Amino acid sequence: MSRAPRGGGTQDRQSEIVVFAGRDMEEQGRRELEGQWGRVCDRLRKEIGDKAFKTWFGEVELGELKLGKIRLYAPTRFVRDWVGRHYGDRVLAYWQSVNVEVKNVEVNLVPPPTPRRPNEIIAVPPVPSSPGYAQPMPRLGPAIGRGDEVVQAPEGRYTFANFVVGKPNEFAYAAARNIAEQDRPLPERNPLYIFGGVGLGKTHLMHAIWHALRERDPRTRVLYLTAESFVNKFIHALRTKNTGAFKEMFRNVDVLMVDDVQFICGKETSQDEFFFTFNSLVEQNKQIVLSSEKPPSELHDLEERMRSRLGSGLVADIHASTYELRLSILQSRAEAARVPVPAAVLEFLAHKINTNIRELEGALNRVVAHGQLIGREITVEMAQDVLHDLLRQADRKVTVDEIQQRVSSYYNIKLAEMSSPRRARAVARPRQVAMYLAKQLTTLSLPQIGKRFGNRDHTTVMHAVRKIEELKVSDNSIAEDVELLKRQLQG
Amino acid sequence: MAEARRQLTLDVGHRTETWSRADFVESPANREALGWIERWPDWPAPALTLYGPPGCGRTHLGRVWAARAEAETMTGTDIAALDVAALAELASRARRVFIDDARLAPERGLFHLYNLLRERGGHLLLAADRPPAQWEIRLPDLASRLRASPAIAIDPPDDELLGSILLKLFADRQLHAAPGVIAYLVSRMERSADAARGLVAALDRRALTEGREIDRRLCADVLGGLSNEPVDR
Repeated sequence: MSRAPRGGGTQDRQSEIVVFAGRDMEEQGRRELEGQWGRVCDRLRKEIGDKAFKTWFGEVELGELKLGKIRLYAPTRFVRDWVGRHYGDRVLAYWQSVNVEVKNVEVNLVPPPTPRRPNEIIAVPPVPSSPGYAQPMPRLGPAIGRGDEVVQAPEGRYTFANFVVGKPNEFAYAAARNIAEQDRPLPERNPLYIFGGVGLGKTHLMHAIWHALRERDPRTRVLYLTAESFVNKFIHALRTKNTGAFKEMFRNVDVLMVDDVQFICGKETSQDEFFFTFNSLVEQNKQIVLSSEKPPSELHDLEERMRSRLGSGLVADIHASTYELRLSILQSRAEAARVPVPAAVLEFLAHKINTNIRELEGALNRVVAHGQLIGREITVEMAQDVLHDLLRQADRKVTVDEIQQRVSSYYNIKLAEMSSPRRARAVARPRQVAMYLAKQLTTLSLPQIGKRFGNRDHTTVMHAVRKIEELKVSDNSIAEDVELLKRQLQG
Repeated sequence: MAEARRQLTLDVGHRTETWSRADFVESPANREALGWIERWPDWPAPALTLYGPPGCGRTHLGRVWAARAEAETMTGTDIAALDVAALAELASRARRVFIDDARLAPERGLFHLYNLLRERGGHLLLAADRPPAQWEIRLPDLASRLRASPAIAIDPPDDELLGSILLKLFADRQLHAAPGVIAYLVSRMERSADAARGLVAALDRRALTEGREIDRRLCADVLGGLSNEPVDR
């Protein structure tokens, strides 16, 4: 995301630098160029919107200006081609408006990524007073260590401000806020243990605490990680005989947050190490926040002494969501995304997707994205279509028998008419609809379909299919019949 | 029919698989899936699943995406062979992974990979015969993550697509089909890409052993032989 030029770390880049060595760009020139790129980016962002800008230019980096040609670097071929094709002219025009020397803009592919430098790895700005915390990972070895701190830095979008509070989560919310606002940990609230089912907002609260603490005092050393990641790092440290660095990582934190702590259960060595870390931090009066799917008393694979320690502070649970909470979450998300979604659609989603919040938000995202993709208006029918994999129990194989039954009862004719030789329109049309559906919904060959409709020829089936296709265009009621029957059959 | 198919699936040695975007045949059946592939990286979730019946083109489309996104291509069984450290290494190196036959991947491995990629801002494309909502996943965290991400259906081929698939299969074998053969086959064969594959292989073999042209009469003979039911000619 950085607008800074790349460091010239790879072989490829170095060779370019050698080529340009004769006309070495001075510091001053470089800064100017970056300033221009910044202005070009601002205009682009305004022009194409934040989202598109982030998508296409988020990872595009400024290269150099040589003989009137600006070089940009895209992370992938796809982005390179897209940016070149769709935005190339605009980038050039904007650039020329701030620098008349620019005659051309070229988008290239970046050379394969170089390993990140340690100070890029840490999403948190390094804290001068604690070098041990700022750079512990590289010492843990590349396999798990590299880039892992980025991994554990909470995503920006989960804050208290966008956490929707309702009856099922108000207690956990209040407890989390409390931790974020306190000056020092109170023993009766340490650890804070938040539990609840999958996808109900535990991680959201954890991230929100992280952001609030950092906002309050950027020097606060808050380490957030998943239990999975704790175990992985520890195993790696054991393998590489480097447990010292591992312990170092926790020694200087002010607040430790471990998400999904149930993943530590049953892994004895990791469990012991976690217990040790936990105790030593509590002794130093450092705040600990844990989340889990289960209350401490139900973590059966955990030793008794540990279970009771985990439950010794404040235990807050998040209950399954209610319809009201789901609806207000959807309203708040739709509003934040600035996408007009009809109330009926939000109500439909709140009613149908009642498993958990993650799936609820996922469903809304899918519907909105689908609408954008195919430029279709968001309606309940459209949402039903897009989410049919979630709403339907299973994709059943539709049979010709089912089709014939459903169609004949829909048109109120006898099932036997499906294979009768009668050609009266009242029965012939429904039969044609059924043949059409058989072709659409099964993989049977046309001769096989014909056979099931009173031993008819495959050309009859072809004729029926063509007829219905024509009628679907010219006759709205046929189109609706077919759609409805199709939906019913796919159940 | 089953016996003929069994032989046929082994008989693919000389068919060169081409996975490029240019070779991908667009049709209403796969247009939405293609739209999502072309929309990347603007996806609403870190993962996306393409699903549809065997031979619907999900592997091909996955490969098209992999080429675009410069993603690592693997199968579900490959994932089973990787431990957590190897998955972390994969996620750091590739950041974008396409997993074909994703239902063969172990749940925990898939869960780790999903998390690792999400945390790195990466993406995971899965291909399977059914949407994740119908996979009977036991790990609730994985189930809810996959259910929250788009699952896009690729429908069984329509006539146009089936015809194009047949053309491509003939071309892959450098066979020349007489005029009218494609239309003849499309209106009489089982309508799936797998069936098309079997059919073209059978036609190829029959034409070779009997020294015949690939024309309607040969098609009629082969279709008759492939089906247990009488085929009307």
